[in-house]
Amino acid sequence: MTWKDIAPVPTAQEFIDIVLSRTQRRLPTQIRAGFKISRIRAFYTRKVKFTQETCSEKFGAIVSSFPILTDQHPFHRDLMNILYDADHFKVALGQVSTAKHLIETISRDYVRLLKYAQSLYQCKQLKRAALGRMATLIKRLKDPLQYLDQVRQHLARLPDINPTTRTLLVAGFPNVGKSSFVRSVTRADTPVEPYAFTTKSLFVGHLDYKYLRYQVIDTPGILDHPLEDMNTIEMQSVTALAHLRAAVLFFVDISEQCGYSLKAQCNLFKSIKPLFANKMVFVVLNKMDIKTFEELDPEMQAELQDLTKSGDVELLRASCATQDGVQDVKNLVCERLLAERVSQKLKAGTASNGALGSRLTEVMARIHVAQPMDGVTRETFIPEALKGLKKYDKSDPERRTLARDVEEANGGAGVFNVDLKKDYMLADPSWKYDKIPEIYDGKNVYDYVDPDIDAKLTALEEEEDRLEQEGFYESDEDIEDEEEEEILQQAEYIREKHKLIRNEAKMRKSLKNRAIMPRKVQKKSFAELEDHLDQLGVDTESIGLRARSQVQPSRGRSVTRSRAGTVDTDAMDVDSAPSAKERLRSRSRVRDRSVMASNRREDGVVDETARTKAERQAKLGQRKMNRMARQGEADRHIGATMPKHLFSGKRTIGKTARR
Amino acid sequence: MRVENCFFCGRPAWPSKGITFMRNDGKSFRFCRSKCHKNFKMKRNPRKLKWTKAYRKNAGKEMVVDSTLQFAARRNVPVRYDRELFAKTLKAMERISEIRARRERVFYKKRMAGKRARELAAARKLVDQNGHLLPRLRASTKKELEARAAETGVEVEDLEREELAKLRGSKKTRVFGREAIRQRVRTDGGVEEIPGSGEGHMQEDGHDWENDDDDDDDDDEMDTD
Repeated sequence: MTWKDIAPVPTAQEFIDIVLSRTQRRLPTQIRAGFKISRIRAFYTRKVKFTQETCSEKFGAIVSSFPILTDQHPFHRDLMNILYDADHFKVALGQVSTAKHLIETISRDYVRLLKYAQSLYQCKQLKRAALGRMATLIKRLKDPLQYLDQVRQHLARLPDINPTTRTLLVAGFPNVGKSSFVRSVTRADTPVEPYAFTTKSLFVGHLDYKYLRYQVIDTPGILDHPLEDMNTIEMQSVTALAHLRAAVLFFVDISEQCGYSLKAQCNLFKSIKPLFANKMVFVVLNKMDIKTFEELDPEMQAELQDLTKSGDVELLRASCATQDGVQDVKNLVCERLLAERVSQKLKAGTASNGALGSRLTEVMARIHVAQPMDGVTRETFIPEALKGLKKYDKSDPERRTLARDVEEANGGAGVFNVDLKKDYMLADPSWKYDKIPEIYDGKNVYDYVDPDIDAKLTALEEEEDRLEQEGFYESDEDIEDEEEEEILQQAEYIREKHKLIRNEAKMRKSLKNRAIMPRKVQKKSFAELEDHLDQLGVDTESIGLRARSQVQPSRGRSVTRSRAGTVDTDAMDVDSAPSAKERLRSRSRVRDRSVMASNRREDGVVDETARTKAERQAKLGQRKMNRMARQGEADRHIGATMPKHLFSGKRTIGKTARR
Repeated sequence: MRVENCFFCGRPAWPSKGITFMRNDGKSFRFCRSKCHKNFKMKRNPRKLKWTKAYRKNAGKEMVVDSTLQFAARRNVPVRYDRELFAKTLKAMERISEIRARRERVFYKKRMAGKRARELAAARKLVDQNGHLLPRLRASTKKELEARAAETGVEVEDLEREELAKLRGSKKTRVFGREAIRQRVRTDGGVEEIPGSGEGHMQEDGHDWENDDDDDDDDDEMDTD
């Protein structure tokens, strides 16, 4: 049970600041008199309502974050009562919650009024009044809020006491060594000083005993006077004693160094005895290093012994200064406490007729204590062969031969090799040194090794026979047909031819971004023509004769533009036979500007429909070429990233672009 | 020692060949050659590569369901060495592989059924459409033949036919190295020689690993067309 995460409670002024600034920040601020009145009203209504909501939310959070006293364990309830005064605490929370209600009422009233406001000014005044009244209410909460924040801070620092767990409670007069004990048995750093009331509140330490965690509570000292006269510090101890189901360690300083007589201490024990009902009580005689029990006068001894008479009280001895007996005390108390708790639980879980309660049954069902062999004792098994075995003795000449002796006899370590195959367990010992086939016919032999291979093989053979009979293996052998063979051969020939043609076309077309040569510029030698025609079965003799007869060996400079000597005499344009005039013209005129004989665009086009058709055809013909488009100006092009002429040279004056 | 199968292509990886990759979860991967290892490292799926056993099995190109294939199996009960049993096993292995070869042959035949018909149909179509590409006698040859006919007194047509046959009969395939004998595996497992086949390319006779790849590829093309 911790109250460490209660949010801080703001002071009244802080609270007002928070609420108002939130209203300011979260809501629109622009409003003008010219706006529609409904809009203005809505604007201010929203402000009022929002402020109220924020307040309610904050107050609600404060109220709900504090523990509700009635829900707490009696110990915590009483502790809080002592420390913070339950009435005061309740009143403070009540005031906060009343303020919340009042603010809601104010908001309701003003929202109602705002509905009838006629102007911006009226609205604004109503809002101001509403917020002002809310602020006044909050201001009035100054004291409760301050008190609640203090309570919060104190609650956060309260030790984490679990009232239900295994607990050791250390009590006694001030300055008898309670804190020293807690310090020596736990990791808690309780302050120890040589004056009374060093410990002013409850301290908690933890110790482990037999894998269980125990909570040790160090209480402030108690003086022997009536309950009404006790102060807050003492009351904490009393609360702890009253409500915690714990083992109480009542510390007694028999050396009386604490400043209280042994008599007074015994009296205190007697007077707070009612608090020890249903608890284990141990009287720990502390500071044994100064004065032992035996050194006391018999009267006092009797007095102390008297304390233990009534039931559960035991007398223990310890010395926190020398640590003598401290651990013994701890162990004994823990042991007792555990036994007590277990027996109590069993008692609580068992009905009067001896049947176990449901919860206890559940727990018992989960516990299983295993008994080996159901209690049957088994004797050690010694094999028959080993029973008569003599104990191995190295010096005995009749000793057993070990593998080591064999090794020595056969050349010793490094020479002798252990025969692993000797110990093979096979059906026939003569097989031991067989060479075991591993791979046969590209297959792992071991994959096929199967004790029932015979049965499987016969099954396979049967299946084979059946298949044979069913005609599984019969197949009509394909008859070689002369005609089919020929067709196939011809097809093969054609395929090859296709490939050649394709290849040639590819070679021709691969321009690699060079200009397309006009058809008329492309040259085809006469030999090529002749060969082609010959292949097609046309007699080329007459053509050849004609062509040759028309070629006249030229004198002087060649008529063509090529350099003399490079022109093929068999060139295609032999039959042009230009007249003198034409020759002159072709020389004087640029070739590119030569006029075509007919306009090929208009040629053969009869009417409009033919025109469109021709155009469509032309486009269609162009389509593939367009698809396999060549590089053009629309294509992405990355030029030189740093043109040298723009980036070199002096750069002091002038524009970079002008360089 | 064992002949393991390549993790990637399924080919047998003999001892001392290939490379083994041990993944850090303890699974081991044996590769028959660096090709498979590299492909594995590239995270390729062997089912998608045509040259792997996995692809062929997946695509129905290999006999997968058969009783002969169940003999080689991993058994979880170790068997002690027994001379008789091992002798029996070796004999059985021989017989099993023989039966298996026969069945595989049948399987292949069934798979290839109709292939020749399809090929022929395609060839007929091709020849029909591209008759002009077939070899013809050159004008010059014709003339020559005519001259020869006049000289020898043989019919021109005969000579021409003869010449044409020579032209068309010429095959592009030539024998490399030693003489190739065309053989054919019969369904009963025997091998017969194809008569009149002094030339032509070699055909593998054993029905083993990757032996009918060329046929398959042709077959596939036909299917997709």
